[in-house]
Amino acid sequence: MKQNYIYSPALATGFKCKVPLKDACQLFIVNGKVQGGISPFVLDLKDGENLSETLQLISVRNEQHLGDLEYSEAFHFGKNSRGKVVMCSHTFSLDDFVTRENVNIILESGARAEFVVMQNEHNKAIHNAKFSIKMADHACLTLVFLSLHGGEINNTVTVDMNGEYSECNLGGLYLTDSTQLMNNTIDLNHFVPNCKSNQLFKGILDDNGITRFFGRINVAPGAQKTEAFQANHNLLISDKAKAYSKPQLEIYADDVKCSHGATVGRLNEMELFYMRTRGIPSAEARLLQQMAFAYEVLEKISNEELRERMQSLVEKRLRGEFSQCKNCSKNCC
Amino acid sequence: MLTIKDLHASIGDKEILRGINLSVNEGEVHAIMGPNGSGKSTLSAVLAGRESYTVTSGEVIYEGKNLLELTPEERSWAGIFLGFQYPIEIPGVSNVNFIKAAVNEHRKQKGLPALSAAEFLKLMRERMAYVEMDSSFSSRGVNVGFSGGEKKRNEIFQMAMLEPKLAILDETDSGLDVDALRIVATGVNKMRRPDNATIVITHYQRLLDYIVPDVIHILYKGKIIKTAGKELALEIEKKGYDWLINE
Repeated sequence: MKQNYIYSPALATGFKCKVPLKDACQLFIVNGKVQGGISPFVLDLKDGENLSETLQLISVRNEQHLGDLEYSEAFHFGKNSRGKVVMCSHTFSLDDFVTRENVNIILESGARAEFVVMQNEHNKAIHNAKFSIKMADHACLTLVFLSLHGGEINNTVTVDMNGEYSECNLGGLYLTDSTQLMNNTIDLNHFVPNCKSNQLFKGILDDNGITRFFGRINVAPGAQKTEAFQANHNLLISDKAKAYSKPQLEIYADDVKCSHGATVGRLNEMELFYMRTRGIPSAEARLLQQMAFAYEVLEKISNEELRERMQSLVEKRLRGEFSQCKNCSKNCC
Repeated sequence: MLTIKDLHASIGDKEILRGINLSVNEGEVHAIMGPNGSGKSTLSAVLAGRESYTVTSGEVIYEGKNLLELTPEERSWAGIFLGFQYPIEIPGVSNVNFIKAAVNEHRKQKGLPALSAAEFLKLMRERMAYVEMDSSFSSRGVNVGFSGGEKKRNEIFQMAMLEPKLAILDETDSGLDVDALRIVATGVNKMRRPDNATIVITHYQRLLDYIVPDVIHILYKGKIIKTAGKELALEIEKKGYDWLINE
């Protein structure tokens, strides 16, 4: 399983990203098969290794493999290594897809990693993404989910903080319309003292969209000086959308700082009126409010170009347009 | 420019405006004064199109159009501006994006192209200077974390960007110290032209030292009980409203 990523220029042209990110290396996984490399995908960073380019993994499903598909990706960050990864998943045909993606991330002592996971599929696609994360001491992880489109998306994240002074930052933005279903299940385990975790999940729900957030923070006996925060906020745009939120704290240590908060609400009417008195039409004002709501999650993305691109995808999505990058014919990022 | 005839408005089943008559011409500054709860803010909200108020009877004609049929944004495009007594905070929407969206929408309605980034920046800098606003405000969320005075300056800055024909300033002086009051008033005066008009709603005479009105109206229990020249403000400052109410 020791295979570093390889950039393969010999890709089928149909899958080529026409507007790649600057300083990014792209790798395609088509129907679970790594293009130009060995499957399943493995990234193994040596101790002290610094990934100079952002690794962009573009997972695509198309009509060549219908029905169920399961594949995995493994990331091993050696001691004090650094890296940024963008994982995009797309469907290039409108068939019924069920995808099970298993992602394993291991951060050794002092490793720092940032993951942005963008899910942009279609209404008949079901995507179950399971993230298992293990963090050693002084490791630092940021993981941001952008669930833009999909019939059903289930993100299940388990984080085991096994070493002291590690820090885990989770973000999620989920947007639903029609009858889309999006669930985020987080299991965050503080097994040792002196670790920090932060979760921010936000949803904008239109039409008959349904979302669920189950977030559990477990502070094990003896995990003193833990700081664990969790927030889940949902904005309902229609009267029929439903957001379920279930925060759970299980704390077995007595010297910790922990908090959780969950809200389900509507757009603020006074803000709306204020904007309209300045001549901003109602629809545009609502969009500005939603973008402002979403931005708090997007802010977690440190790469400015990527953040701006994601922001524009979110804006297109909220406007009801196809979420695709400028100059690109595919619904890619 | 603006003619209000026998305007009645209520919130829920409570009638607040009980027959307002008012006429404002181009080039004029009108002040509306009155004790708390007399309906001053309701009048401004009704003119700006706030939906929680119901107009039960009467009419408002603005430049020959029935104002009450227009949405708040249509009123803005037609040149009406409301300066809020309590400006709203909009976290996450930056001041610059907010005002850019507003300015470009106004231009779109006039059939003009959106301003280029450079043109917009130039205009914004110039208008921020009207109210001595620091450029650091532009990147902050709309009114978020602004002091009372900064919020009011931001209102006048927005007014300067939108160049309204009729500005309604609802207690723009409340919560301002003397310096901020001078800055705000100077900003308003810079925008006075023979073809626009201002309605200033205030409790105190001191604002009217800076923004000198042509006419002063006293509103009480939803009706205008007296209309006179600017000297009326001084009389109220000395004697209060009681003598007018008892008249």
